[in-house]
Amino acid sequence: MCWYHWIAITSLIFSVALFSYQFARLVIPGRPDDLSVSSGSVTKGVVYSFTKAMAPGAKESAYLHMPTYAGGIIYHLGTFLSLVLFFVLLAGFPSLNNPLRTIFSVLLFISFFAGFAILIKRIINKDLKSLSGLDDYISNVVTSLVQLFTAIYLLVPGAEILYYLSVALFFIWLPLGKTKHLLFFFFARYHLGFFYGWRGTWPQKSE
Amino acid sequence: MQKIDKVKRDKALELLKSGSDSKLLTHLNACVRCGLCAGSCMFYIAHKQSKFIPAKKVDLVSSVYRRYCTSMGKIAPALVNAKDLDDSMAEEMVDLLFGSCTMCGRCVKHCSIGVDIAYIVRKGREMLSAMDMVPASLQATVDSALRTGNNMAIPTEEFVDTIKWMEEELIDEMGDNNARIPLDEPHKNVFYTLNPREPKFFPLSISAIAKIFYAAGENWTISSRFYDVTNYGFFNGNKEQATVIARNLYDEIHKLRGNVLVLGECGHGTRANRWEGPNYLQKSYDFDMTTAVELIADYIRQGRIKLDKTLNKELVTIHDPCNLVRNGGLLEEIRFVVKSAADNFTEMNPHGNENYCCGGGGGMLAMSEYNDRRLKIGEIKANQIRATGAKVVITPCHNCVDQLSQLNHTYKLGIKIKTIAELVADALVIEK
Ligand code: SF4
Ligand code: SF4
Repeated sequence: MCWYHWIAITSLIFSVALFSYQFARLVIPGRPDDLSVSSGSVTKGVVYSFTKAMAPGAKESAYLHMPTYAGGIIYHLGTFLSLVLFFVLLAGFPSLNNPLRTIFSVLLFISFFAGFAILIKRIINKDLKSLSGLDDYISNVVTSLVQLFTAIYLLVPGAEILYYLSVALFFIWLPLGKTKHLLFFFFARYHLGFFYGWRGTWPQKSE
Repeated sequence: MQKIDKVKRDKALELLKSGSDSKLLTHLNACVRCGLCAGSCMFYIAHKQSKFIPAKKVDLVSSVYRRYCTSMGKIAPALVNAKDLDDSMAEEMVDLLFGSCTMCGRCVKHCSIGVDIAYIVRKGREMLSAMDMVPASLQATVDSALRTGNNMAIPTEEFVDTIKWMEEELIDEMGDNNARIPLDEPHKNVFYTLNPREPKFFPLSISAIAKIFYAAGENWTISSRFYDVTNYGFFNGNKEQATVIARNLYDEIHKLRGNVLVLGECGHGTRANRWEGPNYLQKSYDFDMTTAVELIADYIRQGRIKLDKTLNKELVTIHDPCNLVRNGGLLEEIRFVVKSAADNFTEMNPHGNENYCCGGGGGMLAMSEYNDRRLKIGEIKANQIRATGAKVVITPCHNCVDQLSQLNHTYKLGIKIKTIAELVADALVIEK
């Protein structure tokens, strides 16, 4: 292992430690206290929150913005692929042969461009720009760079140092910036499912 | 002169300490500022200004949270969009959290992540309340309720006179000298509550529910002092005041030894009592609680009242109060009653959990400072109603009735607006 491997691994440990701390803060309080009398089912509400309520047809943020939604999905898939590939590459997984490397690389170039398009939209769209601060740009750049450098490193082994440094940067930023929604997303869906489930709004029975 | 001193700021920031509150911690940290919620909020749709994007409202609160409650926000605020809670921030919060959000929750359902935007707006209102920055008109409404027991400060004698007058009308209409609107009677099954707008402006809605109770043979009463179902303490962000108001009804039903607290037709009143009340008072209620809508639905199902829907021939549509439907789960129940009482029904588009707020929620009707904004966002509802071609709009909420009446006038809709009780009373078949 070289120094840049260790930098990446140390960053990963930092990320996992911070996420574990946040996770503990979210979980330790337990189920929300509510003294009112429920008229629904929290379990069903939470299941609905993670399933049908997430369908593109159920949310205006998806069906009114299909290109952005599709771009976002591709971008997130690229991020998860990069994460998986980090472990594969670090372990020097032998089965990652040339055709597979090429396929993954192409996929990651596509997801990188999806992320890049989202960044451009943030810069030129007046509404989105007004919502944005440094965190939004940094989060996009560090995530996009990981995808870009993973794509490059898969094809060009000489890019190894740049690749591991980009991964390190990503892991350091992940629990600090808005990228921490990697964790908070799941809790947001849970709490929303709890809220609507408790009151009998979800699962929605009719139109 | 500075509006916020250290003491006030500390009181506000205390509310953001999310130590043991997983929900608060979650929603303060979950927004990714994708901006995709913009088109779900009527303020943004009506005004097309960036400041009205729901995420902007969340960000006001969460940026202050990051500044004072996170390490990164303390060390490098610019990096994580953390902002100071100063005078200009507080003023922006007043404008956007009080004046630009009805807490309808429509954006919540459509958020790409699932951020409870309305919940964070409420938290922001609590912060403003802790800093004495509640709009004066809204605070005056709360003060009236605290001082007199009802938000319109109706004197008890005036209220009793109105009830007596409605009782005489009921006796005439039913042709029965035993028809009653019982006041302050103990040991009744139903303890009924009203929105003070009813005795003040819409007494016929009281006679409508009295007619239904008469037909159902219900054993009921109203308190002459604590009948107000509303709780504007839910809107001004002052939990202590909200608790005092919620306790009024709690104590009164105990005093009169009623069985079931029936929440009159009021969206936020239902929410504040049914879902928040026990949490304000920090105890489970030892009596049952239901809404007028559910009670009437039960009467219909049990055959306690008979309806002839041909008596309501005009085309009707429903305006779903956000606090009863999206935030209260009564979508199906409202439709069951309306379809049982009206011959000709059509839905708005969108409706139910997707419905747009009338524009009068969140205390907007009480905040005259924002009247123009309120009527402007209401145009969305006006257009929805017009598109249905309906002649009658049914809504089980007196706040909505008030806003819809103003929209009817402003946008010349030429409709009638009725509560559920009024619709059902018109379809009643009274067997003598
Ligand atoms: S849709 Fe949700 S996550 Fe996106 S900006 Fe709006 S509140 Fe934030
Ligand atoms: S709760 Fe309603 S009014 Fe408030 S931001 Fe969301 S959609 Fe707009």
